[in-house]
Amino acid sequence: MSLLGSFLVNLAVFVAVAVGGGLGTAWYMIETGSRLSTRTFGPWTTWTAAGRPDADPYTRAHVLRNALLPLSTTLEMTYHARADSRGGRLHSACEYAIVVEGFDTAWWSIAAFDGRGGVIQNPAERYAFNTDTVMREPDGRAVITLARDARPGNWLPIGGGSRITLVLTVQDAAWAAASQEGSPPKPLPEIQRIACR
Amino acid sequence: MKLSRPTMPKWPREIGWRTIVGAILLGGVIHIVATFAVPALGPAAAMRKLREALPPNQMVILRPAAPGKQPLPFLAPDAFHAICRYDVTTSPVNVSAVLGDPGWTLSLHTPQGDNFYVMPAQQLRRNEVSFTVAPGGDRTADFGLARRPSGSETFIETPTSEGLIVLRAPLRGLSWQAATEAMLRRASCSPVARKR
Repeated sequence: MSLLGSFLVNLAVFVAVAVGGGLGTAWYMIETGSRLSTRTFGPWTTWTAAGRPDADPYTRAHVLRNALLPLSTTLEMTYHARADSRGGRLHSACEYAIVVEGFDTAWWSIAAFDGRGGVIQNPAERYAFNTDTVMREPDGRAVITLARDARPGNWLPIGGGSRITLVLTVQDAAWAAASQEGSPPKPLPEIQRIACR
Repeated sequence: MKLSRPTMPKWPREIGWRTIVGAILLGGVIHIVATFAVPALGPAAAMRKLREALPPNQMVILRPAAPGKQPLPFLAPDAFHAICRYDVTTSPVNVSAVLGDPGWTLSLHTPQGDNFYVMPAQQLRRNEVSFTVAPGGDRTADFGLARRPSGSETFIETPTSEGLIVLRAPLRGLSWQAATEAMLRRASCSPVARKR
């Protein structure tokens, strides 16, 4: 290979690795996060310093880029799930069951969004359940069913043929403190896929 | 039949180790610059989205999120939000609100989304809150306010001259909607009247 050819090859590799690698890793760390800034519990992922003034640069960039307005994680933890407990991508063509238990005195909410964080249009105009609106079983558990068509009990409608993101919010200072130390005091709800069309 | 061995292209052998090391170093610099540039270049995405809907120093009640009418992505759809875009450039801001049931929160955010103050509603506690948001440091005195407030006054120093005050009221169901809205309407946010 000629001297010019060798120079061009090195230049192309240099630019590709520097720009592609630099921007690509920054994008990954800001959008997806790593163990430096997030914790994952089953299908649920949380940005551990979201909303805090002492948050790391990745968390701050994540909050800004996504136009989020989180409460400090010293009070409230927000968990996002884009997959079910077996790793399958959450999709509106499928039906899921979420069993919520173990939050005791904590206030909690589960909401379904599309992939971009928009609420999902449905005739029932129901987009979330929380501590006060969910119906409980005699043993205190709450079973929430995500499905396109109506289901008995706590039905959270999903439709539109798109990917789904679930957001679980738990507001309790003791819970948040335990989560900051390592893991939540109780396991987070499983997301069980029941069927797909 | 004799199979010819696949031949590797020659150009990878031309890549020098200095190229790889230099690219990785520059990539690291680009990574750091890009990460820090997001807050610097994209000033306050949430603030920017809300700015037009929020006149300064005025509490505005936003309806719960609905398809196509969502002020921010991933904003709790099972809650009302009363939001005030405060601006303490010319005057501190008085804030008062009533916190209802557990789940209600009153929070203060910088334009970058930092939540520098939050108060949750708690059972068996007095849930009426009022305080003054003032700029930090010596600027408090500029506005004729005492550096040491009396026992009945609460000052919250804001690290930025602008920001958001968010009162979040989760919905307990349609039956409680009117009561929730009535409590939210009691929230206020207004500039402090100057003493003559």
